[in-house]
Amino acid sequence: MTTLEGFLIALAKTVVIFLGVVNVAALMTLAERKFSAWMQYRIGPNRVGPYGLLQPLADGVKFIFKEELTPAGANRFMFRAAPILAALPSMMTIAVIPFAPDIVIGGKNFGALTIADLDIGILYILALGGLAIYGVILGGWASNSKYSLLGSLRASAQMISYELTLILTILSVVVMSGSLNLREIVEAQSDITRWNAWNVHAMPQFVAFVLFVVATFAETNRHPFDFSECEPELVGGFHTEYSAMKWAMFYIGEYSAMTVMAALTVVLFLGGWSVPFWPDAPWYVGLAAMLAKTGCFLFLFLWVRWTLPRFRFDQLMRLGWKVFLPLALLNLVVTGAVVSLR
Amino acid sequence: MADALFYVMAVAAVLAALGVVLAKNPMQCVLSLLASFFALAVIYLLAGFQFLAAAQILVYAGAILVLFLFTIMLLNLGNPGSEDPTDVRMFSRANAGLMVVVAAALLFVAALGVRRAGPLPVAASTPKTGLDPIPALAGEMFGRYLLPFEAISVLLLATAVAVVVLAKRDRRPNEGGRT
Amino acid sequence: MVIVKRKELSLAEKLYLPEVLRGLSVTFRKMFEPKVTRQYPEEPLPKTEVTRGQPRLVVNEDDAIACVSCGLCEAACPAYAITIDGGETDRAIEREPKRFDIDMLRCILCGFCEEACPKDAIYMSDELELADYSREALIYDIEKLKRPKAALQKRIDYVNRINKRWQTPSST
Repeated sequence: MTTLEGFLIALAKTVVIFLGVVNVAALMTLAERKFSAWMQYRIGPNRVGPYGLLQPLADGVKFIFKEELTPAGANRFMFRAAPILAALPSMMTIAVIPFAPDIVIGGKNFGALTIADLDIGILYILALGGLAIYGVILGGWASNSKYSLLGSLRASAQMISYELTLILTILSVVVMSGSLNLREIVEAQSDITRWNAWNVHAMPQFVAFVLFVVATFAETNRHPFDFSECEPELVGGFHTEYSAMKWAMFYIGEYSAMTVMAALTVVLFLGGWSVPFWPDAPWYVGLAAMLAKTGCFLFLFLWVRWTLPRFRFDQLMRLGWKVFLPLALLNLVVTGAVVSLR
Repeated sequence: MADALFYVMAVAAVLAALGVVLAKNPMQCVLSLLASFFALAVIYLLAGFQFLAAAQILVYAGAILVLFLFTIMLLNLGNPGSEDPTDVRMFSRANAGLMVVVAAALLFVAALGVRRAGPLPVAASTPKTGLDPIPALAGEMFGRYLLPFEAISVLLLATAVAVVVLAKRDRRPNEGGRT
Repeated sequence: MVIVKRKELSLAEKLYLPEVLRGLSVTFRKMFEPKVTRQYPEEPLPKTEVTRGQPRLVVNEDDAIACVSCGLCEAACPAYAITIDGGETDRAIEREPKRFDIDMLRCILCGFCEEACPKDAIYMSDELELADYSREALIYDIEKLKRPKAALQKRIDYVNRINKRWQTPSST
């Protein structure tokens, strides 16, 4: 394989995955409104395009043509930089998520469907995922508004608290599969006959799985943990003062973070592209399985939002520090003990 | 190209570090520090230490700086100079002395451990491809350098406990309430 | 003083997760239940003779309105939406409005004008939609208010039937 060929393949993968995520994020805005409507006996957007499928496009046009407002006393540079900082990290983290096993077309192997097959894949995701909070904090601070500031304060406290749980639960998975590379973690789970196959399915990491899923909700600032934008108290939270495309950037960031987190959950706990009882499934079946599993988790995000009431902030903190953290730590210790005793 | 990138990043790191010291606005200080950390992480990457780079961003940029920002926003240091100087009376001499002794002892233990373990043959254990194998790193950290590693952990824990104690102290009602 | 006794939670409720699952199952089931949304312009609201829409002037068989500009509706209108300028006419009723305006932006569709009218000239139609590009265009004059009697016949019959129910023998 020549250098040029390798470059073109990498470019093609990048374009496919990146466009896929951006489009999924856009469609999620529609899905959110559709599912919320259905759960409330309504129909949801259905005017733009068939079944309202072009609604995200119409929203995009609206965002572009809206007036941009900058509040008086705002720090202009930060105010502009914050939406970019919010959207960028979640889009960058998608680079290490493996979506399909080695793609073989016409007997030619194009490698796994992932932008970068990093050995420290999980660390990369955690490092960049932790940066998403800067957009929220700076956006809230630069707006020169008390609602924005309170929203971003809450968001930062919350994200720090739940990142610990997130990391500890991920570590349990890492201990079981013995690698920080996401592709290898999937491969460690794909063999159904092995004891740690299908990490959640075979039950050994069920506690970690539950903790992880809940922590992703907190990490992406989704319901029932969306204190940073808690409407009844804080108007819009950290993005109260934002309008037009800057505001849309925050939402693009949120929805792509959800997409990445859903994909990560599948990769870590549900065996990624592996299909149960069909160990040597072709790559396109694997890709379909991966997308289907990710879709289920994206649906879970929406489903929970329209079901549960919002927590109170002190409840959230108590839950994070006094319940989740000890449980995750205990789970990690037990996992480590079991793995090292085997 | 890697060399050029190194010089760019080195200059950026130094400039950002200067910004931390010179900037008037505490928010700008923190952001300069962030930029500096990033430049450092890139330099680590160029040197082939993926893990170190990721840990740098994860720990410093992702967690510690966020705490800094959190504190600055809570204190509302919008205009420097308007805040009261920190009240230092709550440090009793005996306590402070004890703390210094304990900290020094822990640091001594850590240094001793490092000395006994000897320097890590970085060049030999790191392949030229620029990857630091995590099992090897973990082996060094939890094998050869276990004692200093744990001593530093205890020191950090002691610091955290000390901060909590100091912060809680002046809220006791029988000591005249808040300062 | 009110003492609120909170319900003692069972273990399953304290763990919260089982309750979350219960809530999720409820919302999931609701997704497949029939929708209550009405697709408005395509599926208009059902209209009966009871529907009290905007007031309209009845055009009788002789192609004229029955209004004699007595001003009772103007007086009855709680929103001061009606303006009438009276004048003489050669017709048998001798008087007719030279100007009869209803400001549709003020009209509250209460139906008092319909009740007040002694000549059965004004009735509430079933027309509800009201939109235009200027305020002036929504002040309806006689020409805009005229409706043939056939279009309002159901409402006229209904009002007469109701009125008959309240009429005592002495008042007729």
